[in-house]
Amino acid sequence: MGGISGSRPALLAVVAVLGALLLVPALHNGYYENLCRGILMFGAMALGWNFIGGYTGYVSFGNVVYFGLGAYTSAALAEHGVENVWVAMPLAMVVAAVFAVVLGLPILRLRGHYFGIATLGIALATQEIIANVDALGGGTGVTLRQAEWFSQYYYAMWLVCAASLLVTWLAARSKFGYALVAIRENEDAAAVLGINATAYKIAAWAISGMMAAPAGAVFAFANGFVDPPTAFSVDNNVFPIVMTILGGAGTVAGPVVGAIVLTAINETLWSHFPQIHTLFFGAVIVLVVLFLPRGLLYLRRGARGGWRGFLGSLTVYRV
Amino acid sequence: MNLLLQVLVNGLLAGGILAVVALGFSLVWGIMNIINLAHGAFVMMGAYLSYVLFASFGLDPFASVPIAFVVMFGFGYLVQRFVINFVVRAPILTTFLLTFGLSLLLVNLVLLIFHGDSKAVTPAYLGSNFSLGPVTVAWTKLWTLVVALAITGAIALWLSRSKTGRAIRATSMDIGAAQLSGVRVAHIYAIVFALGAGLAGAAGVLVGINQTLNPSMGDPYIIKAFVVCVLGGLGSVEGALVGGLLYGVLEALGSQFIGTGLQDAVALVVLLLVLVVRPRGLLGRAVA
Amino acid sequence: MPIRRSLALVVAAALIAFGPAPSRADDNTIVFGAALAETGRDAREGALTKEGYDFWKDYVNSHGGLKVGGKTYKVDISYADDETNAQTSARLVEKFINQDHVNFILGPYGSATAFASAAVVERYKVPMVEGNGSSEKIFNQGFHYIFAVLSPARRYLEFVIDLALHQNPRPKTVAIVAANDLFSLEVAQGAADYATSHGLQVVYNNKYPADTTDVSSIVSAIKAANPDIILNGGHLQDALLLQKGFKEQNVLAKLYGYSVGPDTPDFRKALGNDANYVFGGTQWSPTAKYHGAAGFISDSKAYAKAFNAKYGHIPDYHNAESTATCLAFQYAIEDAGSLDPQKVRDALARLNVVTFYGILKFDDRGINVYKPMAVNQIQNGNLLTVWPSAVANAKPLYPAPDWSKR
Repeated sequence: MGGISGSRPALLAVVAVLGALLLVPALHNGYYENLCRGILMFGAMALGWNFIGGYTGYVSFGNVVYFGLGAYTSAALAEHGVENVWVAMPLAMVVAAVFAVVLGLPILRLRGHYFGIATLGIALATQEIIANVDALGGGTGVTLRQAEWFSQYYYAMWLVCAASLLVTWLAARSKFGYALVAIRENEDAAAVLGINATAYKIAAWAISGMMAAPAGAVFAFANGFVDPPTAFSVDNNVFPIVMTILGGAGTVAGPVVGAIVLTAINETLWSHFPQIHTLFFGAVIVLVVLFLPRGLLYLRRGARGGWRGFLGSLTVYRV
Repeated sequence: MNLLLQVLVNGLLAGGILAVVALGFSLVWGIMNIINLAHGAFVMMGAYLSYVLFASFGLDPFASVPIAFVVMFGFGYLVQRFVINFVVRAPILTTFLLTFGLSLLLVNLVLLIFHGDSKAVTPAYLGSNFSLGPVTVAWTKLWTLVVALAITGAIALWLSRSKTGRAIRATSMDIGAAQLSGVRVAHIYAIVFALGAGLAGAAGVLVGINQTLNPSMGDPYIIKAFVVCVLGGLGSVEGALVGGLLYGVLEALGSQFIGTGLQDAVALVVLLLVLVVRPRGLLGRAVA
Repeated sequence: MPIRRSLALVVAAALIAFGPAPSRADDNTIVFGAALAETGRDAREGALTKEGYDFWKDYVNSHGGLKVGGKTYKVDISYADDETNAQTSARLVEKFINQDHVNFILGPYGSATAFASAAVVERYKVPMVEGNGSSEKIFNQGFHYIFAVLSPARRYLEFVIDLALHQNPRPKTVAIVAANDLFSLEVAQGAADYATSHGLQVVYNNKYPADTTDVSSIVSAIKAANPDIILNGGHLQDALLLQKGFKEQNVLAKLYGYSVGPDTPDFRKALGNDANYVFGGTQWSPTAKYHGAAGFISDSKAYAKAFNAKYGHIPDYHNAESTATCLAFQYAIEDAGSLDPQKVRDALARLNVVTFYGILKFDDRGINVYKPMAVNQIQNGNLLTVWPSAVANAKPLYPAPDWSKR
């Protein structure tokens, strides 16, 4: 292994942690279940972002739109009496895929900054539009009746995260994954070599959506309440990106590692410094970007050459 | 018809502020290729500066405009030298995240100092207006537009006439050639970023006159700055002005005739259409 | 290298395991968890809520505490900032219940946050009383563990319309505008229904994004519709923007009524003379003539005086309804004679007591439909109760004069 999959030991560690996470509901502690479900949720979202941003190199600043669409799929179903998360999840994936294909055609022609802003615009516009659709609760939001067996939502989220990890791993070992990386490194050259960049990009964006959307669908039920600011929140948009960067973009395990570490940091900050946790979080982001621009998983390369090598790596992007 | 005229006037007045907000953003993006997500925080800091001056010394907010410019210029210079400089040539994601983190830091610092409840800058002449036929124009909004135009004009003049201004334009066209001609690029970058921050601060004062202040007030302006830059074209002063006014009018028209609940969505749809149809905007250079 | 990474994960796990703050457990104190807006859009209103809660807490603790089943308890309130974010509110409530093991939950400020928290307390079967989220949608979900001491949102502007209809000349047209959020939309709906059923013509009825910073379009449209009355469902921020906007575009209506805003001291401070003549629907007024049961200050005027002495401003209805929220718990806990959540919940359901704030009684959905609203008006910088006449301490001033004459 290796290649574009990233570090094997990290992947094994992640799989082990995932296995352990499966046991959390047995602890019968609502707080921990909530916390770990959050890790799984962000893990899935980060893996989704990683697919389009990390592997394909198209930095999306609006992937939260898929999460929101997934959450609202659950909400729409609930409004029509179908309060079943297992129905909502696949439906959410379909919605995401359709959305990605329809919007991907015009939007994925943009590169770099422009693609980023366009995705941000899409996310904001979708949020606004949904806030004006009364059938979806409009600005007031929708409550979803939660099932008696509450832990099913935990298992559902686990499934989404594990499946996303599996798909990423499979893609990284396949021609598909290499094609995405080729597009990331030099799209024009890739096209010359016969890779249908448009098709691959749209597929990648669709897959990234199909990871985030079911996470949103489960979240809607687990939270019991969905409204536009909750579903399309800035946190849900930015955290997956920071997590992926922290863990290592363009690797298989990186996003999940980032999700675990960042959730731990965030939770600790939140518990001990409720007043200024966001302040610290901003500092964390700044520090991560300055000192770990290629993530924890690439730390090895920076560490080569000792302290001087590390400091030197900091100034690589200077003028 | 009267309503249409009033709406157009509303839009132009609002657009003036947007032009100044977007100008700094556009310069930093166009010349340094950095999208500064902390720009909204800079705007907010300018507004709070005018609030402090108003509340403590009764200083008229319009008089705070140059003060905010100078203070934020200095602040921006420091931020660039000691933070942004490390990622000037990094991939976009790095700068996105860094400036986002910076924004979080700044917003929360202000939150800590001033608390979350909203403040207001309330000079006595607030709300006074005059009628131009069927249209009512608020004095503060008109003065805001005038100041905005003045600032835009001054920057345009400075960029085309002064030595530093020409160095800046040279750097944005071709870094290598500029360096060979003796331009100290690191210094230029610091000046540009500082300029962007200074303009944001000045714009913040203008914004603060027309709405209430709270630590998150700057956030919506980032996406608006994006739209203006895309509409008017990157890196050009005229583009920011035209884009800003156009955006203001579009938003006013959209919210009036499509739906007030959708006013932000309208602007975003316009953004997407422009991005897809003509990414370089009305007055920008062609995108590579 | 694998060691380093595994270490990172272990450290992370440890942080999670030991991260959360220690839970509180004290046998002689009843602990309430309250997630309030300390930051975000409703920060100001959240602060008012906290004042109301703390006033009750300090009063009870300095008057011997609560007597429950033969034992005396002190009370304490544990606060956290929900950032005016529904999801954060729900998370905090869950943390209060699960990690901190609080006894009961005091509600947040706002309907959206209350809505989100309701789902949580229902799941954990811990009673929550709130006094600042009046949306009926919350109470139409069949929840059993949430109670609200305030009158439903629909009622906020009904009495304002009532007042208007009793004026001379009788107004004919009304414009209604609301923020796109749970509370405001219900206020607007209630106002629209009441207006139409009482012969007023609704010439404008629209909504704006909840955190908007620019209302010039709405103001222009309202001006074009030329209404006699303008009504707004929203919160303090939008009320300020709208009133300012009306002045800027020289909108001349005969009556301006807001659901939230006029009652808060900030409204008057920010607008100065432009705040005069404005009406606000209010849940309570210092002139209310209720005579409360024993166990707390029984009279509104006395409450206002004591509150003013402590906090430096006359309480507005947010303060009062927050104190009333705590009072509901007080009487229910004493009635139940126990701290058992189920018993207290049942005691709340059958609560029927008059307080300085009004009657505290919940319908079978959990909301207090038995307490009437009133109308305040700002006259010369002072907030006076003008309607209904039974509780009024001033006559309403109508119509509103030109802007220059305020």
